[in-house]
Amino acid sequence: MKSMEVRLQVNGEAKRWTIAPGDLLLDVLRREGYFGVKRGCESGECGACTVLVDGKPINSCLMFAAQAEASEVLTVEGLAHGDTLDPIQEAFLDHGAVQCGFCTPAMILNAKALLNRKPHPSEEEVREALAGTYCRCTGYRKPVEAVLAAARGSGR
Amino acid sequence: MFDTVESFYRPGTVREALRLLQNGKTRARVVAGGTDLVVEGEQSIRVLIDITHAGLSYIRRRGKTWVIGATTTMAAIENSPAIRALAGGILARAAATCGSVQIRNMATLGGNLANGSPAADTATPLLALDAEVVLANARGRRKIPLTAFYNGLRKTTTGKALIVEVAIPALPRGGRWSFQKLGRTESDISLVNAAAGLQLDSQGRVKWARIALGAVASTPIRAVEAENLLAGRKMDESTLAVVCDEVAREVRPISDVRAAAEYRREMCRVLVRRALEECAGGTGCSL
Repeated sequence: MKSMEVRLQVNGEAKRWTIAPGDLLLDVLRREGYFGVKRGCESGECGACTVLVDGKPINSCLMFAAQAEASEVLTVEGLAHGDTLDPIQEAFLDHGAVQCGFCTPAMILNAKALLNRKPHPSEEEVREALAGTYCRCTGYRKPVEAVLAAARGSGR
Repeated sequence: MFDTVESFYRPGTVREALRLLQNGKTRARVVAGGTDLVVEGEQSIRVLIDITHAGLSYIRRRGKTWVIGATTTMAAIENSPAIRALAGGILARAAATCGSVQIRNMATLGGNLANGSPAADTATPLLALDAEVVLANARGRRKIPLTAFYNGLRKTTTGKALIVEVAIPALPRGGRWSFQKLGRTESDISLVNAAAGLQLDSQGRVKWARIALGAVASTPIRAVEAENLLAGRKMDESTLAVVCDEVAREVRPISDVRAAAEYRREMCRVLVRRALEECAGGTGCSL
């Protein structure tokens, strides 16, 4: 198989990876150890593979890795600073907004993109932002409450 | 995943994209948002041509025409102040229902049309807006009305050409507009969608009318007979009844896992009534 090179930033670090031209971003990120990017439905329905590309949430199962050339990718691994969690992560913990955790990285990244764009969203806006990420454990109430709390800056 | 792909190109211009497409022959595919192409999972693709850097992401006014570049995302369209203000915002509202936030950050207007789906949410308002599609090939560009773009179920007349942009010509003065969608959720695929545009004269009679529907025939359609029935009439209860009956006669829905043909037909009646009521009641648009 032919290979090519892709240069991008992942969580603020410059990367230069050898990929196959048909590789999907999801596969490459997991191959490189970013396991917070979850392999779910692989058809753009469940949202578990969400990452931010240049600040915008996308489904990495639908994007070719070559399309990430020169872009900035943020995965859930890039949110914390050392031992200090992102306020959204703190809020998810405080609200018990995690059960099995499979959808959690995607929920948090979608929330991150929303709050970056709109620091004080309405509940409806939070629900819309999370609607592309399926939780099959419990539901959405606690994640929604967590995001709203993070937006209020209280974290709880 | 796409093991057969040997080359991935990101042309910086339409000209370069066309050259690559020509060289790639039948084994080359154009990709933009990827939300259809990747899901289809076609395993014979040798060459991918990513056109998202070919200068086709824009929303501009050219004279009295609004033009939207083929790789403009649904998110860009739904958030564009110009498109939100255009024709009651029907195109922006339709774009806002094209899947999740993530999908709308990827999916493009050109892709929504190129896919040829009868349920393409943006096609319905674009039909009501008399939109035209600009296609480019090695010989040049041509503009075709969206009504001539579809060629049967999941078939378009694009051929080897590339969709460059969509043009929305000047709208009738004082036009009133509506977009209506019925889906299992707001962002799910349409079971039925409808768009309408009305221009009334000073006596309140219909001077100009457009009724378009999606997911109720092999392509997005205009209900032309129903539009003709509206001409010259006042927007009262009897007009609505007659026109909605005609719409139900004109559509050719199918039964599938999402809905039965009979249900879809009935919902055409309901959505067109809502759309016309909204147009008659004022400007603006709701879902």
